[in-house]
Formats: sequence, C-alpha cells, structure tokens
Amino acid sequence: MKKIFQSAYLAFIFLFLYIPIIVLVVYSFNTSRFSTNWQGFTLDWYRVLFTDGPLMEAFANSLIIALSSSTIATVLGTLGAFAFYRYRFLGRQVMYSFVYVLMMSPDIVMGISLLMFFITIGLSVGATTLLLAHVTFCLPFVIVTVYARISGFDRHIIDVAKDLGASELQMFRHIMLPMLMPAIIAGWLLSFTLSLDDVIVSFFTTGPSFEILPLKIYSMVRLGIKPEINALSAVMFLVSLLTVTIAHFFFAKENK
Amino acid sequence: MTRGSRFRNFAIGSPMLWIAVFVVVPYLIVVLFSFLTRDPEGIVKWTLTLENYREIFSPVFLRVCRNSFVLALGTTALTLLLAYPFAYILTRIDENIRRFLLVLMIIPFWTSSLIRTYALIILFKANGLLNTFLLSTGLISEPLSILYTETAVFIGLVYTLLPFMILPLYASLLKLDRRLMEAARDLGATSRHVFFHIVLPLTLPGIIAGSTMVFLPALGLFYIPDLLGGARSMLIGNFIKNQFLTTSHWPLGSAASVVLTLLMVVLLVWFFISTRRAHSGDMETVR
Amino acid sequence: MKKVLVLFLAFFLPLGAFAADREVYVFNWSQYIDPAVLELFQKETGITVKYSTFESNEAMFAKLKILKKDGYDVAFPSTYFVERMRRLGMLKPLDRAKLPNMKNLNQDLLDKPYDPSNAYSVPYMWGSSAIGVNAKVVDPATVTSWDDLWNPAYKGKVLLMDDVRDVFAMSLRSLGYSANETDPARLKEAYEKLLKLKPSVKVFNSDSPKQPFLNNEVVIGQIWGGEVYQANEENPDIKYIYPKEGATFWADNMVIPASTRNIDNAHAFIDFMCRPDVAKMNCEYVGYATANAKAQEMLDEKTRNHKAVYPDKADLDRGEFQTDVGDAIMTYEKYWEMLKTQ
Repeated sequence: MKKIFQSAYLAFIFLFLYIPIIVLVVYSFNTSRFSTNWQGFTLDWYRVLFTDGPLMEAFANSLIIALSSSTIATVLGTLGAFAFYRYRFLGRQVMYSFVYVLMMSPDIVMGISLLMFFITIGLSVGATTLLLAHVTFCLPFVIVTVYARISGFDRHIIDVAKDLGASELQMFRHIMLPMLMPAIIAGWLLSFTLSLDDVIVSFFTTGPSFEILPLKIYSMVRLGIKPEINALSAVMFLVSLLTVTIAHFFFAKENK
Repeated sequence: MTRGSRFRNFAIGSPMLWIAVFVVVPYLIVVLFSFLTRDPEGIVKWTLTLENYREIFSPVFLRVCRNSFVLALGTTALTLLLAYPFAYILTRIDENIRRFLLVLMIIPFWTSSLIRTYALIILFKANGLLNTFLLSTGLISEPLSILYTETAVFIGLVYTLLPFMILPLYASLLKLDRRLMEAARDLGATSRHVFFHIVLPLTLPGIIAGSTMVFLPALGLFYIPDLLGGARSMLIGNFIKNQFLTTSHWPLGSAASVVLTLLMVVLLVWFFISTRRAHSGDMETVR
Repeated sequence: MKKVLVLFLAFFLPLGAFAADREVYVFNWSQYIDPAVLELFQKETGITVKYSTFESNEAMFAKLKILKKDGYDVAFPSTYFVERMRRLGMLKPLDRAKLPNMKNLNQDLLDKPYDPSNAYSVPYMWGSSAIGVNAKVVDPATVTSWDDLWNPAYKGKVLLMDDVRDVFAMSLRSLGYSANETDPARLKEAYEKLLKLKPSVKVFNSDSPKQPFLNNEVVIGQIWGGEVYQANEENPDIKYIYPKEGATFWADNMVIPASTRNIDNAHAFIDFMCRPDVAKMNCEYVGYATANAKAQEMLDEKTRNHKAVYPDKADLDRGEFQTDVGDAIMTYEKYWEMLKTQ
C-alpha cells in the first residue's frame, strides 16, 4: 500500500514536470508561425532549425559555457564548502555571508557591476568574461548544497583519519569526496541548469563576438518566438532523455 | 611547508580568492554607487549623498517589498511541501534507478525557462488545453480562469524552482542512517515520532539549504510572475530593473539592492540563531 | 585530459582583436534581418557580419553606456533612444557621402524631432501603437477614441502595454496633451486617469500583445500594428483602430555607436540595408513596415495596403513619434510605480 502511494507521488511530480515539455514537443509540429493555438501538422521547423547556422552556433556556445562553468564552479564550490567547514581563517564569516549576498543579488545588479568591473581591470568582454560570470553565479549554489551535506557529518571521522596518519589531502580525497558525492552531483546539475538558462548577467558580460542561446531566445520575444526554438527545445529534450536512458541501462548492466 | 598545509592553503585560497575578486569587489562597486548621485549626462556623479536611501523608504517601495516577500515565502513553502516527500521517496529507491530518476527530474529544466513558461500559458489560457480537457469531460461548464491569477503565478514559480529544493534535500537525506530510525521504531516510537524527532532534525541542513536556494532567487524573479500573472503589480525585481534601465538612476537601484541585502542579512541571522537554539534544545533532550 | 585542457584554453583565452577590418559587429533584435541579406552582404563586400542580440532598448543602452571600446559597429535603437544616445555623445555622426542609398527612404519618416536632419540615424522599420479589438465581442465601429478603453463594459478585458512611456502616451493623448509631455501637473492628471482604468486591466503585456487577444483573454487594448497583421493570419477578427486623438509611432533606426571598431564597414552595412531589393527582403522576412519607399512600392498589394502596417497619411500626421523626455522620466516612473502598486 505504502509502495503504491509512493510510486503514485513520484508519478505525480514527474507528470507536473513533464506536461509542459510534452506540450512543447507537440507544438513544435504546429504549422502556425506566431501562435499558441494549434493550426496543423508540419516538420518545417525542424528543417529550418538545422539550416539556421547562427542559432546552432549559439546553442553550441551555450553548451560549452554551461559544461565548463558548472564544472569549474563545482570544483571551487566543493573546496569552498570544505574550507568553510574544516578550517578557521580570517574573514571566514564575512566570506560565507557573501555567498548568500551573491545568491540574492538581482541579475541586473550582478550583470552591470560585473561588466563595470571587467572594463575597469581592462578585460575585454567575450567568452572569457562570460565564463567568469557564470562560474561566479553558480558558485553559491554548489557551496550551499555541499555545505548542507558536510555539516551533518560526524566530525570524529576527520579526527580518526588524522590519527591514522592521513594528510589533509588524503583525508579530503579518500574520505570527504566519496561521502560528498551526492551533493557534488546535485551542485553540478544545478549549476549546469542555471548556466544554460541565464539571460541578464550573460547579456552584460558577453561581447559582440560571442552569442549564446538564451540571449537569442529572449531577444525573439518582440518579434514572436520562432517555432524553430520549440523544435530545438524538443530535440535537446529528446537527446538528453535518450542519452540518460541509454547510460542508465548501460551502467545498470555493468553493475550486475 | 608540509603537504597538509599546502592543501589547506589551496582549499581555502582558490574559492576565497574567487569570491573576493568576483563577488566582494563588484559588490563594493554597488555599495559605492548607492552613495553617489544620478548623472543624467553620464553614469554617476561623484558627489556623496544619503539621498538615495532616504528616497528608498517610501510607501511604494515597502509595498513592493511586501509583495515580493509574500510571493517568495509562499513559493518556498509550496516547493518544500512538494519536494520533501519526493526527495524522501527517491532516497529509498535502489541506487541505480535513483540516480536515473534524479537526472530525469532535471532534464525538463534544460529547456529555456521562457519557453517552459510559454508552454504553461498554452495549458492555462482561457481556450487552453486544461480548459478544453475539463470542458470535454463535463467536469466544468465554464472555462476556468487560471491565467493571470495568483494560482498561475505560484504554479509557475514552483515549477521553475522545484529542483533547487529537491537537489539539496536529496543530497542531505541520502546520508540519513536508517538504523537510527529502525532503532527508534524498535523502541516503540510511532512513525510520526520518528519523523519529527529523528528525520526532520537530521535533515534540517538540507531544508535550510533548499529553502534559501528557493527563497533568495525567488525574491528577485519577476518575468515569470509578469507573464503568468499579467504584470498588474510590481516586485522588487521590476523595481530595481526599472531604476537601472528605465530611469538610468543607478544609485537608487544600487541602494534598493543594498537595502534588500541588509533586510536579508537581518532575517537570516535571526533565522539561524533561532534554529540553532531550537536545534541545541533538541540535542539536550536526546542526551 | 591534457587535450581537453588545451582545447578549453584555446576557446576561452582572448586572442586579441583579429581581422576587425573584415568584420562588422551588429547589435540588434533577434531575427530582425533576413539571414539571406547577411550572406549577400558578405558575398558582395567580403565583410562578415557578427550578429548579437538585445532584448530591450533599455538594456542595449545600458550596455553601450559602459562599453567604451571594442564594441558594436551598428546598433538598432528605437525612436527616443536615438535622441538620448545622441545627446549623451554615444553615437558617431553619419557621413552622408557614404550613404547614397538613403535617397530610397520614405521622406515622411526623415527629419523627425528625435534626430533632426538624420545626422545620426537612418530609419529601418517603423510602426504604430493604437487600439486593437476583437470584433467578435466588440463592434469596431463603436471604438474611435482612446477613451473607449475606459468603457465599464470592458472591465477585466483590457490589455495595456507593460511599458511606462506607451501607457502614459495613451493617457496623455486622451487628455489632449502630447505623448512626450514633461509637465508634472499633466503627468499627474494622466496618472489619475490611468488609476481609474487599472481595475479594468486584465494584463500588462508588451512582449507580445497579440497573444492575450488570440487566447480570448482580452477583447480591447493597446497593440502594435505589426502584431495585428501577424494575428490576422489566424484570426481575422482582431481589428486595428487608429484613435481620433492620434496613435503613437515608433521607428527602429540604424546608428553607429561611439565604441565602433570600424566606421567604414559600419557605413557600408547601413548603405547596403538601404538598397531597395535588400529592404524588400528584410521587410518580407520581418513583416513590419519598411522605411524604404522604393521597397514598399515593390511589395505585393495586400501587404502594401494593410492599414495596420501602412497607415494613411492622415493617421500618420495625427499621430506622434515618441521623443526623449529627459529627467521627466523620473516622474513617469514614480507614477508608474504608484499605478502598479495600487
């Protein structure tokens, strides 16, 4: 009985999360250029999508930025959470409160202040500054997620490891990392998601030669979101779904 | 220098340097701006003033703050309610499937949030899918108006922020020692007792992390409430954006941002002190 | 692992300014130029177009204000932003000798108050903001004035733009004032009139005002002519009415920001965009009214005569182009905040 109830709840949440995406996939076959009303079936938008070079380039740029910034943010954030937990150092409290300050900074404030900062230090805006900005706004989400897991640990584990002669690095690698892994994965997933969807900060911190997908999408609003964006979303969704499913069955078999 | 202290310096140094350079310094620019004067001909005039802070504390700004806080609090409570059982059930599933489901949960969020919000509009609008479906089943005879109501706003916000609650909860629930719960049950504790006295306190760090990660970003969000709610009211996000973009009054926008931060700091300090007190009280009784 | 790192560094390390003489950096709304035009330009001149997008005039303005060098060569601000940018020295004056194709433009759209004698800007596309109605519910013949929005019969069915200037322009015109009013007393009057309209408003939307009309959420409200033209592809009942007080007109213009890297390429690009055949391609791709008279003549009759897109001379003369209101924008914003928080 309990099992059924639990499965039903999982199914309910997944339904809630997936219904809008299913609507989106269905509407990517809609003939109408402008509307959210159903007009008829077509594959045109997929054809248009694959011939739209700049759109595909922006999409590729977005993926590269999201993959690299989330990875860097995860490494830095995990180290940061560990440092906040394990060590006492000057300005620890102040730095930790800035993690929260960053998380609540309105995008426009962060975007403009970062742009002014980059200009002041003589960095010309482009892929590099965009990467720096993305790592920055992903960082607090990794730190907070990892810190939440680490702070529930029994501090004695560290003492035992140290008593057995482990160095700090060994202790971190062989004890901390494996135990933190679920939080590290969670932090990476959040960062990747955030980076892939950011508009305002990206607008201010990227340069004329480097365009990413969210900027293109938001900029379409005035002339109407092109249906090929629905097609792109549908393709991306199905590809991620397929990759994850294949990976799951591949690893599941391997584990057996 | 020993190997240990070299790692220590690295673990502290790299993230702290990053925060100092890319968070603290730009933030100081914002704080500095909040004390400067608007310059219609350029960006700011280098004349120090407290005028921006005086101007901020107006009935309008207070109403804007109240709207945003109510919205963010409601969203946090709803996401927690939905996400907690989800994360809890997830952690009790076999490891292979659990990881698969976790990634499956996040995939919808790799679609642009704007596009997802448009999909919600297709669902909710007067002649939309939900109404068409309900009308055809005969459950309702008049189309429900959902779009441009608070219900739509909350559904949209909860939808967008759900993973920010689920993931930290999942990460902290996963370490829950089941033996502890079994032991408690063997000693005759009811399920409710086990939940409130063992599970909840142990997962408190996860709840706090998830709640801050939903609440703080929700405060600044405005385009989802605008699109789904009809933009009839103003939120802090709109207010600050308008100062920077419509009126080019960057000092006032900066001051609003600083005040928001200070409000939050006060709230968080109060929150941490009170939870820590409650938490340590719990420990006392356990002992 | 090392290979990945090398690739990573190659991607992110700024390699400095390379080949700026063969490139032109365009800053514009997404999909506001036919991609075929960009290819044609590259084929004919050998200059590659690097196209970046913005999602609002305000955001574009803020970014250009901070960028002092290595910026964009051609930007596309709307009417009153041209004026503001010109006043703040953010634009380079145009060299008319390098823009022979400007002769093709619609003379009615040149020398407007926001840029006298077009010293800094060249109009690209233009349009109006007036009243949209759903003819199934509202008889278009009964709607002639902005005041009709205040009709209690439409309570809860009205759409307004989510833009302070557009909304106040309407209220000011309905009171008989200029859409670019700066007098605080008149702005207050306009605000008080809007306060009475607020309970009738179902939605503020300036992203895509046609959607709430198509979705049957609203029956009357402010809308752009171009949006009505698009909406009519699906629902011919959405009608466009120029109010007797006059509509508000806007134009998107090509300008050269002060942070330009190559001013010759910028001129070459702007002149190319003024060629009739190119303007026609863009106009057909975007679906807005072209500022190019020669191109307009080449359009098919249905489009050329669609009143929502190309108004009569009388409607054009009765209307007003938005201009920069200077510091009065602070008063506008104050009343806007009060209106939204009521």
